[in-house]
Amino acid sequence: MAGTSVVNALAVLLILTSMMVVGTKKLRLAAYMYSIQSLVLVSIFLSLAIFMRAEPLYIWSVTALITKTFLVPYLLLRTLKTVGDQEEGMTLKTTASIFLAVLMVALAFVVVGSFHTYALLKIKVALAVSIAHFLLGLFCILTRKNALKQILGYCLLENGSHLTLALTAYNAPETVEIGILTDAVFAVLIMTVIARRLFKGFGTLDTDTHTLLKG
Amino acid sequence: MVWYALGSILLPMVGGALAPFLPERSVKKVSQFFSFLAFLCGLLLLVAFAANRTGFTQNLLTISGINFYGVTIDTLSVLVNFMVVFIGWLICTYSAGYMNAGNREHPITEGVPRFYALMQLFIGSMSGLVFSSTLLGLLVFFEITGLCSWSLIGFYGDQQSRKSALWAIILTHCAALGLYLTTAYVFLSTGSFSVSALGQLTETGKILAFVGILIASWGKSAQLPLHSWLPRAMVAPTPVSAYLHAASMVKVGVYIFARTVLEAGTVPQVIGEIGAVMAVVTMVYGFVMYFPQDDMKRLLAYSTIAQLSYMFLAISMSVYGSKLAFNGGVAHIFNHAFAKGLFFLVAGALAYTTGTRRLSMLRGILNKLPVVGLGYIAAAMAITGVPPFNGFFSKFMIILAGFEIGRYHPLILVLVIVTVIESVGSFIWILKWMGTNVLGTPSDVVASAVAPPLAIKFVLTVLILMTLISQYLVFLFLS
Amino acid sequence: MIGMGENILYALPAVPLGTALLAFGIRSRRVAEVVHLAGISILALLSLILVRDVLGGQRPFVLDGMFFADELTAILLLLIGVVGFLNGFYSIGYMRHDLAHGEVKERNISFYYGFYHLFLFTMVLSAISNNVAILWAAVEATTLGSAFLVGFYHHKTSAEGAWKYVLLCSIGLAFALYGTILTYSNAFSMVQDAHKAMLWTELVNMAPHLDPQMMKLAFVFILIGFGTKAGLFPMHTWLPDAHSEAPSPASALLSGVLLKCAFFAIIRYYAIALQAVGKGFPQTLLLIFGLLTVGVAAFFILVQNDIKRKLAYSSVEHIGIMATGLGAGGALGVFAALLHTINHSVTKSLLFCTAGNITMKYGTRDAQKIRGMGKVIPFTAFMFTAGLVTVAGSPPFNVFVSEFMTLTAVLRSGHVWPMIFLLLFLVIVFVALILLISETVLGSPPEDLPRGEVNWLTLLPFGILFLFMAGLGIYLPAPLNQLLQGAVSVVLGGK
Repeated sequence: MAGTSVVNALAVLLILTSMMVVGTKKLRLAAYMYSIQSLVLVSIFLSLAIFMRAEPLYIWSVTALITKTFLVPYLLLRTLKTVGDQEEGMTLKTTASIFLAVLMVALAFVVVGSFHTYALLKIKVALAVSIAHFLLGLFCILTRKNALKQILGYCLLENGSHLTLALTAYNAPETVEIGILTDAVFAVLIMTVIARRLFKGFGTLDTDTHTLLKG
Repeated sequence: MVWYALGSILLPMVGGALAPFLPERSVKKVSQFFSFLAFLCGLLLLVAFAANRTGFTQNLLTISGINFYGVTIDTLSVLVNFMVVFIGWLICTYSAGYMNAGNREHPITEGVPRFYALMQLFIGSMSGLVFSSTLLGLLVFFEITGLCSWSLIGFYGDQQSRKSALWAIILTHCAALGLYLTTAYVFLSTGSFSVSALGQLTETGKILAFVGILIASWGKSAQLPLHSWLPRAMVAPTPVSAYLHAASMVKVGVYIFARTVLEAGTVPQVIGEIGAVMAVVTMVYGFVMYFPQDDMKRLLAYSTIAQLSYMFLAISMSVYGSKLAFNGGVAHIFNHAFAKGLFFLVAGALAYTTGTRRLSMLRGILNKLPVVGLGYIAAAMAITGVPPFNGFFSKFMIILAGFEIGRYHPLILVLVIVTVIESVGSFIWILKWMGTNVLGTPSDVVASAVAPPLAIKFVLTVLILMTLISQYLVFLFLS
Repeated sequence: MIGMGENILYALPAVPLGTALLAFGIRSRRVAEVVHLAGISILALLSLILVRDVLGGQRPFVLDGMFFADELTAILLLLIGVVGFLNGFYSIGYMRHDLAHGEVKERNISFYYGFYHLFLFTMVLSAISNNVAILWAAVEATTLGSAFLVGFYHHKTSAEGAWKYVLLCSIGLAFALYGTILTYSNAFSMVQDAHKAMLWTELVNMAPHLDPQMMKLAFVFILIGFGTKAGLFPMHTWLPDAHSEAPSPASALLSGVLLKCAFFAIIRYYAIALQAVGKGFPQTLLLIFGLLTVGVAAFFILVQNDIKRKLAYSSVEHIGIMATGLGAGGALGVFAALLHTINHSVTKSLLFCTAGNITMKYGTRDAQKIRGMGKVIPFTAFMFTAGLVTVAGSPPFNVFVSEFMTLTAVLRSGHVWPMIFLLLFLVIVFVALILLISETVLGSPPEDLPRGEVNWLTLLPFGILFLFMAGLGIYLPAPLNQLLQGAVSVVLGGK
């Protein structure tokens, strides 16, 4: 049982880091936060691999370490270099957003509570966290107006689903995981490329000003 | 005989498909040729059918055991098709004289191939509708005729004609929804698209189905409350108006009604009541609208609305079991086509030669343009129902049938009496204009008129003859 | 070529991938065009061979069943192959024109062809994958493959369109990933076989035994996820931006084929859900989403001024009709939806390509400024008119057939009110499109505009697409009918 509690504790840490990613105003800092958070994710994978004897997760943790802790933050930071560190505007006050974030975590726990499949019972907390994580990512994209912050939101979202995948489908064929990860990295890569072009065209990454196409 | 039917559907379509690729000079000749071939098919079919007089249905397009399209050859379709291709051919001939730069009301310098392509597509799809043995076929050709009329009404392309064309297609398309629903409903209830499947429906089912059909028919035949597109459509080139009013478009609605009533066996009486009441209401409306009109074509438009109400009244009365009423309706579809076609082409000839369609400016036509004047007289007499012109005979049949039914159904009696009054009223009004316009010494515009082209004269003469003899043709087939 | 058996499943993705890599490396425009033409031709040929094989009763499986082909695959591949070929052919003339007018640089032409084939590759992959995770990955990859096509022109607007496209679709697809995971873990707890629990063919077989609660949730996620990509309301907002900003042949491919890839993914899960949770749940959801989509799109078609945005919203509308068809359910509804995918692909490709020619001629996409097309570019104007009349759902063209079938199917399912709403929405669309024709095609053209078609090379695909459009409106060829019937029984579990 010790294993599950480690996993659950790490999962809570994950939520904290992701709230910090959402909450940090400096984009450079947020990117580093994301890197740290991915590290937590990797350690969850590792502990799951150890405690649940899920060998495939060793490979997962290695690939996640490479892509999420280093590659994705690197891509973001490189883009930041070209566009300059940006102060972002947001539509919600900090208190309100924290409140909403907590609400989402609660929602995730309620959703998970309704699952009955036996295999999932042991790691319910972690599962709820993964779903909450997904929702937080979504929340970040919806309420933050800076394009790079939205990319970070997408990364959170992606981390959430990655964790769900690890919890429920760690025994899936490796090809699947590789396919999904490749997609994620490419998505971030392409988004940063487009974000640079947005910056070139509009001189800002504030998506509220990108309104040439309407209706 | 099926080949003749297919000939009159497909030949004009082939001609229409060729038209855009032909040089402007030969397009008129080629189109006349193809529409003449279609007419020939219609004529041969008429002759062949006269020989044995047994109707039949042949399925043509069957996929997975469901018949999507077939042709029905019977008295109704053969007669109406003859009228469609005959007038189609005449219009194509007439247009050759009308659609040119010498036209004084509206000189035409471009778009002739487009005109002929659409016109022939129109003829072909009318034929397709007339022969269709399935509701789906009726629906498809209903919509195609709508598209054809839309592009022809908007032919000149200016703001007003575009708007009028839009009215025409939107109103008729909305009306078509009734037919969509009926077709889907009949298919779901019986598993067949065939028109005769209507007969397998329950009493309530038939009422539902016929309400859909009536809505579609009203829209296409410009009956209240879906009439408003027709007077606007008068901005079309006059040969188009003539075809719209005489042989196609407005006849689509009443033909569909007749065809479905014929195939459905017994039809609930309530449908007859609705149809008859709406017909007479529209008739009175059309009549009242005669008075403020000064544009000849608009006057004719309201006259068409009123005349179509006669046909609707007749078909509705046939629901009560009167064969005479049905025959009267069919005869009126046939006769009115020639009379109204003639009337419009006279209006077109006047516009071509004098440059105006204003009734109050026209006087002494007979004196200056004898053929046009004679055409005017024949058309007016035929429309108002003066013997020996054809309109008299069919109107007489309808009214006679009305009085027969009226003995048992007071509602019908009242309606028929209103009809008689309308008939007399429109007689007086149209003859009043006829007296003013045709007789007397020519007014300025008429006096300065140019001579109409030979093609126009030829077509007018043929149509004058038809207003005198078409009723015998009908009697031959309906007896 | 004949009788490739299962190898065709390797050849199908390999050809566009190879062509793409080749095209990226080529500098000469001429050579790139030749390579491109060869690539699309071979792909079209291969997809036709596959269709023939499937019609002959073959069910090729490769790589432990990871990739396969059934009737659904065949239909989708038919679209990718044939429509991809015609749009590809059109691209050549279009790109030459853009190059001549300085819209693009010579080097970028080969990039365009490279991305075009990369895009085709990802779509082929999504069509033939039996593994649901690969299916997801492939659909996500289509976004990434086509993002550069959307942002191909270096305009501010194309960057904005591409941004919305990638961001929204990636988010949407994250939902679909959740749906995929839920389905998998549900199946895994039953069979305890990681490989089998990922295979669609196995999932369908075991569907009646899956946990219905979880499958419901999974289906909702799938519908949101792939629905975003397919353009269902309210997740459609990226679509008009992306479709209007891309070069016209790419827009045609996006609207004509890509939407269907996502839609077919929905169909795959629809088939599972039908058996796992019963008819009611998935059908009601699809019916509601479908109708809402049609209604909202109808409104936007009416108010838009940009012709390509109008067309994009019309694509949204047609996806709505397809969803409604699935929502009506039954053999008729599914048949109608599948037939509609084919009809819409053909028609919308024609429309976007003609819109391309119109834009080239007039230098604007603003419907208020395009006048008198019938006089300036008569052939294109005719095709544009015919296409619009078709998407408006008017006979004698193909869309009428499937729309009418959809209506009938909705009526059969007993949903009278939804059908009436659908009819009303369709009337609005009809009015909007007829209005567009009468404004742009008729009327008098700007005086300084020279008459004549833009580029004769672009007209050939129009003719072919028109023939398909008219032909399918009058007759359904027996092989296609057989294919559709087969696909219906794949979806409804008749086999």
